[in-house]
Amino acid sequence: MDKHIALSDSSLRTPDSESTTAGSSQIQDLRKMFICWWHRSTVLRFMIPFMIPLTIFWILPLIGSFLISFTDWNYISPRMNFVGLNNYFHVFTSHGFQRAVRNTILFSLGTNMTTIALGLVMAMGFQNHYRGSRFYQMAIFSPWVTPAVAVSMVWSWIYQPERGLANYLLTSLGFAPLQWLHSSDTAMLGIVIFTIWKTVGWTMLFYIGALERVPQSLYEAAHLDGCSAWNRFRYITLPLISPTTFFLFIVNMITSIQVYDQIQIMTQGGPGGSTTTLLYLYYQQAFQNFQMGPANAVAMVILVLILVLSILSMKISKRWVHYD
Amino acid sequence: MQSHILKTWFFHLTRHFIMGSISFIFLFPLLWMVLGGFKTNNEIWQQPYRLLPGNWHFTDVFNTARGIQFGPYIFNSLLVGIVGSAATILCAALFAYALVFVKGRFHHRLFWLVLVTYMLPSAVTYVPSYVLLARMNLLDSLTGLMFSNLASVFAVFFLRQSFLKMNYEYIEAAQMDGASHLAILRHVVYPMNKPAFITVGLLTFVQNYSSYMWPSIILSSREKLLVSQGLRQFFIQEGAYGMNWSEVMLGSTLTVIPILVIFALGQRWFTTGITEDSGLK
Repeated sequence: MDKHIALSDSSLRTPDSESTTAGSSQIQDLRKMFICWWHRSTVLRFMIPFMIPLTIFWILPLIGSFLISFTDWNYISPRMNFVGLNNYFHVFTSHGFQRAVRNTILFSLGTNMTTIALGLVMAMGFQNHYRGSRFYQMAIFSPWVTPAVAVSMVWSWIYQPERGLANYLLTSLGFAPLQWLHSSDTAMLGIVIFTIWKTVGWTMLFYIGALERVPQSLYEAAHLDGCSAWNRFRYITLPLISPTTFFLFIVNMITSIQVYDQIQIMTQGGPGGSTTTLLYLYYQQAFQNFQMGPANAVAMVILVLILVLSILSMKISKRWVHYD
Repeated sequence: MQSHILKTWFFHLTRHFIMGSISFIFLFPLLWMVLGGFKTNNEIWQQPYRLLPGNWHFTDVFNTARGIQFGPYIFNSLLVGIVGSAATILCAALFAYALVFVKGRFHHRLFWLVLVTYMLPSAVTYVPSYVLLARMNLLDSLTGLMFSNLASVFAVFFLRQSFLKMNYEYIEAAQMDGASHLAILRHVVYPMNKPAFITVGLLTFVQNYSSYMWPSIILSSREKLLVSQGLRQFFIQEGAYGMNWSEVMLGSTLTVIPILVIFALGQRWFTTGITEDSGLK
């Protein structure tokens, strides 16, 4: 900016001195060229502050991960050998990987389906504003803003088998107590419940917005035609909010495939690997065992999983999502 | 008529009862955490539970809060949260502005690049990013952390959606008056998209403030940890059983307070930001 002003100042002054007519036209040309370049480069100047970190920390590492996944690099030694598809072969046949895939799918679908259903139901409770509705919204949303690590600690108290709140509630309702995070059967359930509690407020806020955008006149017309409440929900609300559902499903899937914090704090992938997801496996192999090759092979699997999911959902969305 | 009034009254009461109970369930763990800081270890574990502590020893709690030395962690997190987010939003706003308001040949392809990056899991890039940071001598430094978080594809996405809804005539009018692009961004685009800016700011802040995995990979010295690593440190150093739960709860509470304060301040813009500018029709 400053350069621009400085230059136009000096070029304003030059035509005044008669002696340098030839020079001034040259300067005029230069000035025009500069202004032209300056305008053209606006895009460049505005984009560079974002493009530099994007290139350094997203695009280059992505290519790097892909390349490392074909080597036997262990971070400490400077040597690395090309091993072809060995890492992938090794990863795909290992029991730990297959279990991690199953755990990831279980976790993602379990949290996602419930979050979307619950979020929508709770958003229905906020149709048209009323006194206190904002307070309730913020209360339900508050777990989302609190750091996962901080609330994970409270939840490890809730899940404590002997004196925790969860078993206290279960036994007082007449059910048998569970081992929660201490048993490989229930540990994933515990993580899923925690994640739903933490994330459902986010989904709900989006649904509140979506429900507000459904034209009220449609409901009135349907009401006059004698449509039941369920049918109004089924044939008006659901189709009209389907873009939001679609968006939330994708975004939530992508975030839940990357779950890490609560697993690291509450179970460390245990007991017996029952809560080891793909990302946790990646972390263990890369930053605990320093097996960069297999780790990045897992990373590529995560990447492909998310790409497939995105493409698939785009295809599906064309069939049943209604964009008006 | 009388029965009609009674009916709506009943409806309101039921609604408040249901939403109130749901809110209580969602707030309970947080409430327990805050109150746990005031309790002794035995009080936390005793059954039947008591929500309120036996004594409100404010001075004791204040002294413990000083004793556990959480200040540096909170300071680091706030630094990364505020400075890091401000820089992130500045970069994202410039980029989104160029995408939307300055005509260019490659915009379409660039936006596709951004869209694809949006779907990528950041964790996939951790190993090479770690190596690159090491090469730049930025490991174990907050600068390195902020720099590596600088490109927020989400922020670009969100701001772009909001910018697209603007009336282009405002930009043209400002250009007629000879305003530079930077001035237009500052004096026209920013005020007209304030809810979107505040929403993105708050979300980025929360993300940076409480981030856990990436910082625990690249930060190692104790005085540089963020709150999440600090809490974890605290959690493991005494072992799960000998752990002083009331101190853990107090530490957790301290980390949550700054976030709640910032959200309470931005709450008004935030909900409209999400419900109206969420990038969806």
